[in-house]
Amino acid sequence: MNLNSYSLTKIAEDDKDTTYDLFFGPNHPGMHGNFGYVLDMSGTEIISVRPNAGQLHRGFEKLMEQRGWVQNITLVPRICVMDPDPNEVAYCMAIERIMGVEIPERAKYLRTITLEMSRLTSYLLAIGGVGGALGHYTPTYWSTADRDLLMDMFEWLTGGRVYHIYNIPGGVRSDVPEGFFKKLLEVMDVLESRLPDYDSILFENPIVHKRLKGLGYISKEDARITGLSGPNLRASGNAYDVRKDTPYAAYADLDFDIITQEGGDSLTRALQIRMEYEQTINLVRQAVKKIPEGDIRLNLGLLGSMKVPPGEAYEKVESSKGEFGYYIVSDGGLKPYRVSVRGPSLPAGFLWAQKHLPTMKIDDVAVWMGTLGICPPDFDK
Amino acid sequence: MNKITAETLLQDLALRCLNGEKISDQQIKVFASKDNFINHLNYLQSIGFEHLANINGVDYIDENEFEVDYHVYSYTHKIHIIFKVRIPREKPVILTVVGLWEQAQFYEQEVHEFYGIYFEGNKDLSPLFLENWNDLPPLRKDFNTEEFSEILFGSRKNGGEE
Repeated sequence: MNLNSYSLTKIAEDDKDTTYDLFFGPNHPGMHGNFGYVLDMSGTEIISVRPNAGQLHRGFEKLMEQRGWVQNITLVPRICVMDPDPNEVAYCMAIERIMGVEIPERAKYLRTITLEMSRLTSYLLAIGGVGGALGHYTPTYWSTADRDLLMDMFEWLTGGRVYHIYNIPGGVRSDVPEGFFKKLLEVMDVLESRLPDYDSILFENPIVHKRLKGLGYISKEDARITGLSGPNLRASGNAYDVRKDTPYAAYADLDFDIITQEGGDSLTRALQIRMEYEQTINLVRQAVKKIPEGDIRLNLGLLGSMKVPPGEAYEKVESSKGEFGYYIVSDGGLKPYRVSVRGPSLPAGFLWAQKHLPTMKIDDVAVWMGTLGICPPDFDK
Repeated sequence: MNKITAETLLQDLALRCLNGEKISDQQIKVFASKDNFINHLNYLQSIGFEHLANINGVDYIDENEFEVDYHVYSYTHKIHIIFKVRIPREKPVILTVVGLWEQAQFYEQEVHEFYGIYFEGNKDLSPLFLENWNDLPPLRKDFNTEEFSEILFGSRKNGGEE
């Protein structure tokens, strides 16, 4: 976007009102990532909105065309900071589909466990984000501390706290260290024991209910047709979950239901995050209980000089924000011919921003973004 | 509505003169021509393929063609379609699908920005991500990133020293 065409001064004035242009982000504390909205304001009312993307753009899709198949795995998790593992898994799954290989059972379970752990870290950030946007910082402090327990587990397993780079084509990088699952189950117990606290301070808080109820309503049909996915879609009453509909990794073996609600507003979406958080704890426990012994990856030869046969595939993974899809085209060489990333936040971040924000006050923008789980790096990549 | 499988869907589309291939039980790819692909997408939407997940471009420079891929999915039939349309590289023009899916507006803006493909009927193809860009559209295969960065940042020896 051309910044020169915007001025920060008043853009219209008549006898009664003056309209101002306001940059909400990239430095606003309620903004997620280096993204922003340019709002036309009259008082505290928003009149119109222009998404101001581009400040995060690093040209990932072009970069991936210039690096080897395995080198790219260090790149893909950066597309979603909060929930990096779905990127690695979707990217690897697309390569495995083109190569026509099936990964070992144990690797599938290890992918499932890390995906669900990653989902927990992301939901904890989302809970903190909803609290922080409401000016209610206690849940933010709590969730940051709880998230650290999971980061420690990731560090122990993969060596990295935020970006794990754990998945490689053909399986995962390493098996779990001694005593990892025992500690992981302890962490799950701690996280579950904290839920009543979050409920009483945030999810059952009458002030939060009053503030979020009716904000940013999305109907069932609108959610289906505009490309929303994940918790946002399910909070509008659509029972769609990639883990159930096109099962990948070990999700076909796990026992879980798709959680749906009918509300479709910000309150419902916040409660959806709370319910799916609890379900995720349960999924980690199930996967740890069922994990079989065996190999953790296929031998695909020397990974540095790996070649993928010509072909194409689209693979998707249910992340905490919705459907993450990777469309990969291979020409048989050492590098991908084309990688296209479907980020889950684009419909909410662009389309629904233009539909919703002009009916809101400026105080609601950060809360609205928090409950929709908008993660700008996944479209501005 | 009867349950559609990948095989029956391919047969159905073959009757409408659309060639396709099965990738897996839940994924097919379809090749359409740029003249009437909107009718086919409209038909697919009417039989339950209501989720447009993504629109992306691919530059097949050796064949002198661009490809625009529409990724559509059906919540009812649980089938993903990669809907492929090829257009010539010299005249990269294709009709817009904003009338079918509102979010296509932003995907089309993105494809226009990175490939220079024009979407006829789309009223706003202003750039979303790049600022003051007047070079070749950067995701085209003939865009040379090394040359671009040398012009912009100057050349550097190995190791990053001046």
